[in-house]
Amino acid sequence: MGFFDKLLGVKPSGLRVAAPLTGEAVALSEVSDPTFGQEILGKGAAIRPTQGKVFAPFDGVVDLMFDTGHAVNLISDDGVELLIHVGLDTVKLKGEHYTAHVHSGDKVTRGQLLMEFDPAAIAAAGYDVITPIVVCNTADFASVEAQLGPVTQGDGLLTLTK
Amino acid sequence: MKTFDHVIQDPLGLHARPAGLLAKAAAAYQCAIQVKAPKGEADCKRLMAIMRMAAKAGDTLSFTCDGPDEDAAVAGLQEFLKTNL
Repeated sequence: MGFFDKLLGVKPSGLRVAAPLTGEAVALSEVSDPTFGQEILGKGAAIRPTQGKVFAPFDGVVDLMFDTGHAVNLISDDGVELLIHVGLDTVKLKGEHYTAHVHSGDKVTRGQLLMEFDPAAIAAAGYDVITPIVVCNTADFASVEAQLGPVTQGDGLLTLTK
Repeated sequence: MKTFDHVIQDPLGLHARPAGLLAKAAAAYQCAIQVKAPKGEADCKRLMAIMRMAAKAGDTLSFTCDGPDEDAAVAGLQEFLKTNL
């Protein structure tokens, strides 16, 4: 709930997950990797990034910073388990073109820089840099809705209801 | 209660995709399924907990299935692991 919502006394209608990256938000079904595209890992959205930076989409904790730096698992203070996976099959890059700025176990606040990556170099290496953002505990929620279109990091991306 | 072990063959280890497929495979059974790796253990139906173990190629995963359909779970998971991990 934002400052103005508080000011106006608007009640939150659900849990919010902000966009961790700047770019174009698209439906998960547009991701060519079926593990994401068929929502096997959970519901969410994907962002085609225009900048190589990932920011914390909420206040929470880093459950796992992958040692390859290509993905990060976060748990929000209100219980959303989120996987941010930068690029498809990028586990194979073994850390190249990725720089982690947080460690597993770190507490993070919304908007904090989590990792940087080089989109051009990743694309040049032959990988799709589309970034699925997936609620791993989708089963704990009645619905997960995504806001699609151009996004700037910090904008609303997902709304979850219990 | 039934237990079995599996050594990870995937050179990339238990990364996001196999972890997701494993959680989905486990969710098909009623029984409780726990998995233990060298660096931690997890409820095998919870994806993020599985990923957190950060299990690598060559690591041994020990599974415990406990509940009414534990025999089916052991058979199903062993088949899944043989093809996917």
